[in-house]
Amino acid sequence: MKKILILYSIVLIFSCSNGGDGKNDNANTPQPEPEVWLIDKNKVLDGGPGKDGIPSIDNPKFVEAQSQVYINDNDLVVGVKYNNEVKAYPHDILNWHEIVNDAFNDQSLTINYCPLTGTAFGWQSMSNGEPSTFGVSGLLYLANLILYDRNTDSNWSQMLLQCVNGDLMGDFPTTVNVIETNWLTWKNLYPNTKVLSRDTGFYNDSHYNNYPYGPYLTVDDFFIFQVFPLNSTLPFKQRVYAIINNTAKVYQFSDFEGGNAIVDSFNGKNYLVVGNENVINAFELTNDFSNLNFEYCFNDTEVFFKDNEGNNWSIFGNAISGPREGQNLITPKSVVSFWFAIAAFYPDPEIYSN
Amino acid sequence: MFLRVLFCFCLFNCVFFTHAQTCCSGGIPLSNNIGLAPLEKGTLQVGIHYDYNNLNTLNFGTEKLDDNSRLRVTHSVLLNANYDITSRLSIEGLFTWVNQRRKITQFDNENLEQSSGIGDAVLLLKYNFSNTFGQNSSLNIGAGTKIPLGSTTEKNSQGITLNADLQPGSNVWDLVLWTLMSKNFNFRPSFGVWSQITYRSTGTNKEYLENSTYKFGNEFQAYLGFSDQFLMFNALTNPGISFKYRHAEKDMISGFDLDNTGGNWISVIPDFSIYIKPNIIFSTQFEIPLYSNVDGIQLTPTYRLTTGLLFRILPKKNIINLN
Repeated sequence: MKKILILYSIVLIFSCSNGGDGKNDNANTPQPEPEVWLIDKNKVLDGGPGKDGIPSIDNPKFVEAQSQVYINDNDLVVGVKYNNEVKAYPHDILNWHEIVNDAFNDQSLTINYCPLTGTAFGWQSMSNGEPSTFGVSGLLYLANLILYDRNTDSNWSQMLLQCVNGDLMGDFPTTVNVIETNWLTWKNLYPNTKVLSRDTGFYNDSHYNNYPYGPYLTVDDFFIFQVFPLNSTLPFKQRVYAIINNTAKVYQFSDFEGGNAIVDSFNGKNYLVVGNENVINAFELTNDFSNLNFEYCFNDTEVFFKDNEGNNWSIFGNAISGPREGQNLITPKSVVSFWFAIAAFYPDPEIYSN
Repeated sequence: MFLRVLFCFCLFNCVFFTHAQTCCSGGIPLSNNIGLAPLEKGTLQVGIHYDYNNLNTLNFGTEKLDDNSRLRVTHSVLLNANYDITSRLSIEGLFTWVNQRRKITQFDNENLEQSSGIGDAVLLLKYNFSNTFGQNSSLNIGAGTKIPLGSTTEKNSQGITLNADLQPGSNVWDLVLWTLMSKNFNFRPSFGVWSQITYRSTGTNKEYLENSTYKFGNEFQAYLGFSDQFLMFNALTNPGISFKYRHAEKDMISGFDLDNTGGNWISVIPDFSIYIKPNIIFSTQFEIPLYSNVDGIQLTPTYRLTTGLLFRILPKKNIINLN
């Protein structure tokens, strides 16, 4: 009897030991110097869900703008026009997945969005010169998403736009300009846009009606992960547009009420910043374009601004018509962000003032 | 006859109140592993148990999501000791060693994070009121504290501090209140009904990630159980079944409620124990969730297994030999 019990106990314990897991099972990827980081390691936090615990969407499906029924006009989307395709990624879906590994006419692009800092970027799905998808590492730096590439398992800081840990430490992604605005603005700009479907393969439709972080958006001083330094010049969760050029310059949507096009200087470069209360984008004014006078003219078409030569320009800085048709303005690194985040990553940012 | 009833009662309590449950759904099982029933003055009881808690069910509220990519496992070794200072007053300590694992299986990859080490402990002072509800009944009350022995600074392979849920300790003292009621019946003295309630008022870790605060949600647990006794293989055995209700409030971070924590759970726990010697009891139990209603989206217990041995060292003159 005793022997049976002892045997039973041993079998039971081993049967529960979960298949002899090793210390770290990232078996498919090489192990770089794991503890070396380009950033202050003490400010990198375990977000809780774990690596890939927030699953990226790797096989996105899209629906036509007219057929989608879930997005309200005021809901925010990330809009991308790339390689002759136009797509919108609703925040409601990005809140739960953060990364979409997508393709625009066979050109791979990784759209990434951090719900805690309100920042979205698009970059080419490449690492180490080879195609790669990206996933959610489960780590955060200054409350901001750290992605990892599935080629080398290196970690990439979203807002720094740099690989900060792993074999590719120090590398930079090749970014693509993305727009963050509300659905009404985006569909007026691009009525034929495709929209990321809620048929993600992970959750049912209604799941995406829920916001995963409680009062995070509405309670200004509620932080799930503390951020230092905290700059209180503006409300922490105020959405601002920022140009990033070593440091950052911030533009408030309130300065663009009703539409505005301004020329501004920052860190030795001239920029055209154009937008309204819902959307802002900026362009470097290189010599070819420095003599033009720009004017906001958005009237619910793709034309967003025009110039004194008679050119009509899109929100992405493409000359849609006019003598310069086909030419493109250069877009700097820029992002829409919660104020606290841009001020933490780029301390003491300059704030544009009329 | 009296000795037999007493023996049944002792066995009944020992079997049911030495088993583990978790403080949070995936954490170290403290709250219901305390509460060894008092015996006679001078008795020492020592339990060594292994607890396996598997969380592989992803819930959104009460809705079970079709996603089993996340696995949270807690292996715990639980050592508890109870000493009866008098026939009514006893003191109990529970000490833990824990291995916590979080494994994500997505996109043909497995990613495992884990920590191991000594976990928090519990010290409980208990008082026994006998025959409160008639003959062969008992009411026990106790109060104690959770002692923060466990580490809260464990790091992963990249040198990053793991989040609170994966740490062996909590870095706070909690208040623990406990009560146990039991009743055996004349129509079948070996048959018993019992109920246990545990409340844990949690403290706040003011050094969480250096500059934040973290408070696990207060926790309430209530049990209702039934047990009987049979002779099997010439050994005394106790099969039983109990039902558990658990309520956990939301955790708080930096003073704000943290979504996707807390909830309500009901589970059923069949169990079995056997005397392998007059003073050694082997027991095992299996906890199966019946109802899970979590706040937001959370991993929720899939099953739990607890097994171990309880040794009782009675004062020599009082050793009971039933063989």
